[in-house]
Amino acid sequence: MSALAGTRTLAGLALRRERAVAPWWIALNMSMALLLIGYIQRVMPTDAVKAAYTAVISRNTFFQALGGGFVEPRLDVLATWRSGGFLYVASAFAAVMCVVRHTRAEEDAGRAELLRAAGTGRRAPLTAALLVAAGTSLLGGLLTALALVAAGLEPVGSAAYGAAITAVGWVFAGVAAVAVQLSRTARTATTIGLFTLGVAYVMRYIGDATRQYWLKALSPIGWGHLVRPYQDERWWLLGLSAGVAAALCALAYALLDRRDLGAGMVPERLGPASAPGPRGPVGTAWRLHRGLLARWAAGVAVLAIATAGAGTLAGQLAAMPGIAQGLLRNMGGPTGGALDVYQRYMTLIFAHVIALYPVLMVRRLRSEETSGRAETLLATPLTRLRWAGGHLALAGLGSAALLAVAGVVHGVLYGLLVGDLAADPPRVLAGMLSHVPAVWSVGAAGVLAYGLLPRASVAVSWAVWILTAVLGQLAGPLYGMWAGTPLEPFHYVPDVFGDGSFDAGPYLLLFALTAALVGGGLLALRRRDLG
Amino acid sequence: MTDAISVSGLTKAFGSARALDGLDLTVRTGETHGFLGPNGAGKSTTIRVLLGLLRADGGRARLLGEDPWTRATSLHRRLAYVPGDVTLWPGLTGGEVIDLLGGLRGGLDRARRRELLERFHLDPRKRARAYSKGDRQKVALVAALSGDAELLILDEPTSGLDPLMEEVFRETLREELRRGDRTVLLSSHILSEVEALCDRVTIVRDGRTVETGTLADLRHLTRTSVQADLAGPPHGLAALPGVHDVRVHGGRVVFDADAPALDAALRCLAEAGVRGLVSRPPSLEELFLRHYSHTTEAAGAVGSAGAAR
Repeated sequence: MSALAGTRTLAGLALRRERAVAPWWIALNMSMALLLIGYIQRVMPTDAVKAAYTAVISRNTFFQALGGGFVEPRLDVLATWRSGGFLYVASAFAAVMCVVRHTRAEEDAGRAELLRAAGTGRRAPLTAALLVAAGTSLLGGLLTALALVAAGLEPVGSAAYGAAITAVGWVFAGVAAVAVQLSRTARTATTIGLFTLGVAYVMRYIGDATRQYWLKALSPIGWGHLVRPYQDERWWLLGLSAGVAAALCALAYALLDRRDLGAGMVPERLGPASAPGPRGPVGTAWRLHRGLLARWAAGVAVLAIATAGAGTLAGQLAAMPGIAQGLLRNMGGPTGGALDVYQRYMTLIFAHVIALYPVLMVRRLRSEETSGRAETLLATPLTRLRWAGGHLALAGLGSAALLAVAGVVHGVLYGLLVGDLAADPPRVLAGMLSHVPAVWSVGAAGVLAYGLLPRASVAVSWAVWILTAVLGQLAGPLYGMWAGTPLEPFHYVPDVFGDGSFDAGPYLLLFALTAALVGGGLLALRRRDLG
Repeated sequence: MTDAISVSGLTKAFGSARALDGLDLTVRTGETHGFLGPNGAGKSTTIRVLLGLLRADGGRARLLGEDPWTRATSLHRRLAYVPGDVTLWPGLTGGEVIDLLGGLRGGLDRARRRELLERFHLDPRKRARAYSKGDRQKVALVAALSGDAELLILDEPTSGLDPLMEEVFRETLREELRRGDRTVLLSSHILSEVEALCDRVTIVRDGRTVETGTLADLRHLTRTSVQADLAGPPHGLAALPGVHDVRVHGGRVVFDADAPALDAALRCLAEAGVRGLVSRPPSLEELFLRHYSHTTEAAGAVGSAGAAR
């Protein structure tokens, strides 16, 4: 039996399953690239504005690091500079997930065994996965290049940009191919792949931030930026990427030939054999969901570092084009300066993002129920109210803690970089925490839905969050409604960056709303069938 | 003596589908009761009603003398439950899950826990996502058996266990029962398991109880299979009332007989001259076939009952 037997069938199967995934990645590539052309055209219509913007950016370490590389005041360079930092990572991420999905995840599920016994060769699954992942990357790059040409950009530069997106995807398909040989589960393989991607990104970022360009030159993400599309198109770097990808694949095949089906090179880490001691409902919920909260805290902290860094530009907000000016006019009020508006807008962004956490916790509550895990717990003396209450306490305290993390990290770092280390952290922290009742009320709507309409609860809680964002001050400025609408809770949160007066009324109102929604949800939960 | 579980005329509908349609179930305190039925017969729904997870539409259910819906929490202190399809939290180790459930039930016997882990060959340090179906089942069994519950509700507890582990489970459960103060409701479609462990059985189909009693009671209602080697042909055997499916191959005759017909049938064999005789009681498989072969005749149903196992 040839080691590659059945590759065609497996690739067909993988393609079929990718129908629901790959088109979205490709569409994301194309739309990001096109959106940013539109954005640059809209907010920087003239060469003078472009030059002013470029001058601001080039002096700012944070934006240099975020975008990666050197900008010139031209539409094509500016647009791909803005989209590239994101698209190289997206292409790499898609490739890692695709390879793991069709190799190690299949072994985990036992489906690979079924297929291998049905006459497919040892190397066939990996080959099929690599072909599909590489094809997706290729199509993502090619269609993006075509879209850019269609949008009127120069073809050679567009081809180089598309090729750079593809090449990054290929390298990380190779990384994932090696990772799946090393690990014993899909989860570990994904972790290895994404960790490598994270390291590559950080090396590129620090390289650009500190102008230690050798760091960037060692990172596969950096190779994408260094192709410099529309500038001097270093084609040979694409050759380097392709060569590294090929070498990684060769290594993966060599490892594959030396391991058993289902086995890996890195042993799975064992966990604790026992966890004695009594646990209340909150302790139980904490043990079950602390991983999610920790990941959120890390994500919020990273975002807060980014917003504090971007704050270095806030002083020049008045000189910036686009939405910033409108914000200043409409949110500043009589006393607010540019910095206050910036802080206010950032806390609003954090509050909206963190309002997703209770939405996800309601989803977890529902999935605990449908998976049967709730049944196992509720067959113990734990009551429904205490079970759900434990989860909700974690959701409530967790979202408050996340706002605090955002406030402390953003406040302290902002104080260090831009403002006043004594005054800024407490003010920013207070600003973040002032959103706690509003965040809770968004989650509480999901709790009511969970009690009354369990099947629809996930959809309802998402819809509430989306409506909050669409009707609120976050998306409002996009269509000129600067203050949002009074239909969403964040509308009622007083502005602590304004004149400093304190009004407890809105907070009490939001607390009462939260209590009513949660109470109604829990009452309904007590009365209904479970599972 | 009070009954540990007493259910009568229980009904429950999900939309237009009637899951329970007047089900009766009585489990006496201290007995091991087999709860038999094919998939979809309503076993798990009954158990969920008994656990207070579902609210019955009609009928009466009493668990340890109390209402399972309103008194769920205090009842749960006195029972341990092993679900049929055990799902665990992928990031927790088996040991953590056992202690989590034990802690919620008010503590478990550490020595018993250690002994059970050893017996079931379960590594408590592995994360649940790395466990096989059988391993997850073992986690739930160890958690349930290392506590001190007076009532064990086991919903198909050995699904996913290999035959060796099934034997370990049986042996462990027998030891538990020897203490004499435990009541067990064992739902199953594995008939040999119920035969090996249970005092009484209730057979359900389509949400209704079709038969209940001791194994001896049920056997009394059914046919005995007889195989005999004879010196001459058995004249008139096939014509006897209550004798079925007579097949003759050379000197060997095979037939089934209803209990009242056995006397006449054996007399007939004796006249022909018996050289060898094998008779066996009907297995639960055969009882099962009688109750579930309403659509297919016995011959076809043997294969499907085998496949269902």
